[in-house]
Amino acid sequence: MKQDHGKNVFIAAIALIAALCSGAALSAGAPTPSFSLAWSEYPSWSTFGVAHEIQLINGKKGALGPIEEKWGVDIELKEAEYDPCLVMYGSGKCDAACITNMDALNPSLTRPSVAILPNSTSFGADALIVTKDITDIKQLRGKKVYGLAKTVSEYCFVRNLELLGENEKDYVFTNMDPAAAALAMQQKQRGFDAIIVWNPFVLETLNRRKDVHVLFDSTSIPGEIIDMVVVAQASLDQPGGKAFALAVIDTYYAINRRLADPKTADETLIALGEKFSHLDLPSMRKVVRQTRFYSTPEEGLKILTSPSTQEIMKKVSAFCVSHEIVPKAPTIGFGDKAAAPNAAFRLDPTYIEEYLKQEKSK
Amino acid sequence: MIRKPIPARWSLALGVLSVLVLLAVYTGLSLWQHHRNPEDTTIPTWSQLAVGVKQILEPSARDGQRWLVADGKATLIRLFLGLLCGIAGGIVLGLLMGCYPIIEALLVPPLSLLAKEPPTAMLAVFFVLVGTDTEMYVAMIAFGILPTLSQTVYLGVRDVPAELLDKASTLGASQIEIIWSIIARAIFPKIIDVVRLSIGPAMVYLIAAEMVCGDVGFGYRIRLQSRLLNMNVVYPYLAVLAAFGFTLDSALRLLQRYCCPWYVSGEK
Repeated sequence: MKQDHGKNVFIAAIALIAALCSGAALSAGAPTPSFSLAWSEYPSWSTFGVAHEIQLINGKKGALGPIEEKWGVDIELKEAEYDPCLVMYGSGKCDAACITNMDALNPSLTRPSVAILPNSTSFGADALIVTKDITDIKQLRGKKVYGLAKTVSEYCFVRNLELLGENEKDYVFTNMDPAAAALAMQQKQRGFDAIIVWNPFVLETLNRRKDVHVLFDSTSIPGEIIDMVVVAQASLDQPGGKAFALAVIDTYYAINRRLADPKTADETLIALGEKFSHLDLPSMRKVVRQTRFYSTPEEGLKILTSPSTQEIMKKVSAFCVSHEIVPKAPTIGFGDKAAAPNAAFRLDPTYIEEYLKQEKSK
Repeated sequence: MIRKPIPARWSLALGVLSVLVLLAVYTGLSLWQHHRNPEDTTIPTWSQLAVGVKQILEPSARDGQRWLVADGKATLIRLFLGLLCGIAGGIVLGLLMGCYPIIEALLVPPLSLLAKEPPTAMLAVFFVLVGTDTEMYVAMIAFGILPTLSQTVYLGVRDVPAELLDKASTLGASQIEIIWSIIARAIFPKIIDVVRLSIGPAMVYLIAAEMVCGDVGFGYRIRLQSRLLNMNVVYPYLAVLAAFGFTLDSALRLLQRYCCPWYVSGEK
């Protein structure tokens, strides 16, 4: 479908440049290639929803905001819960999705995928919350720890056990939706002495029940849980695919500039948190500390190129294999397509580099 | 012509045909999807499905449990406990409402309101009120089916011809005898009907609750495996659910035909 539009991309691009040069208002004559991005409410991913609200981009199919006009590509935003985002992306119902490095591995086995933009890392946003009588991890042996199985929650739990020198087999990780687990703990239900959940449930539970505390959280594994935008290789290969990647990157950093600017910081923060949870401004400030944003292209590049990220991906992949999240380890590549042509999942810094180059040449 | 009968052989053949068409459409869909992406797991081929079925039936490498056995056991226990409570409560309340106007006046208004409340929408309320253990599933199913069930029983009791009751009274039957020997017998086939119709909603509530807070069970497995895109596990689970519902429904119909031939032959 998008390929049909291929020939028109050049025409559209030329028309766009001409229109921009002459300063005339652009009226979209030729159809613009359209790509879809699935996202769910999460501090660093809600940036795309906020960008739509303040009309930097227009998330509806066929309508263009200024950033989309700049790159000559239509971004269609598809908002859904996190699980449906995974399923949508895995089954090819969208071109790109906001998912974590860990959850990107399984879909990449059947749909070669490229991480173009790291958004943030969990730095306290995933936490093990226990009742006050529990002060040592050993007290949890044989007790049920509630969290969503085979997700970053379980990863965070298992990694922290490793760091503490504990054996995973001594612990009983029990599946439960984080919202339900948080609710049960807030209600002081019997047996709910330990939950491992993510924000907003961490902050909500700590706010509403004063006799519980965090035993450990993701601050002990910084940079291991990475929230990112992942695009299908096939979509990137289509005409306009690269422009789509660049427009997504541009949108993300545009919102980050607003967060850094004291004039717009608070309202942007509130807008990000509005649908995430009913947390007030001080809590939202905490949320963005615990979900540490990679707010500049330089930081993003550092993550995509650093050797430590390669080590982390190995670790995450091994975890996914041993916990039956993936049937086999996907080949993970770093760099552009030429550098790793056979990689199922590739972390590619060249899109952010290209964005930086184009920004500097302006 | 409207309602013109067709031969029995035809109706059997057409039934088989429609199932075959369904399977053929699925096969085509999966072939097309694998043509677009040979690695696809979202619309599995029959051989991928076979792998999934094997995975369900064999002991898992991690804990030695057979998925289908563990999940089936958990889900069945929850379902039957829930159905038992809901049906028993519904029959008792329905009988009482149908027999005694005081109870009728007392219970009909709240039950008609509650009958319109989807339990899945009240999931969080159940967590808050009854916790998240087995009693939560049981409460949810029981609460979900009880209002409609009791209303149906109540209407059934009201439909029992007055002359039957009068005659029994004049013959000296006590209230208990009338309820047991006349009313209960008259409405028994209707109870089977409404139980049959309750199984569907009961499964909806149970699966929805298991998806959120189960650590074993059909809802848990389906949500987990959907997230992992293992549709070759999800589809067999759905097939088992369908087969289970169909079997239970047929069994109840047989029971009805066996126990109340007068009622069944009256239909059609």
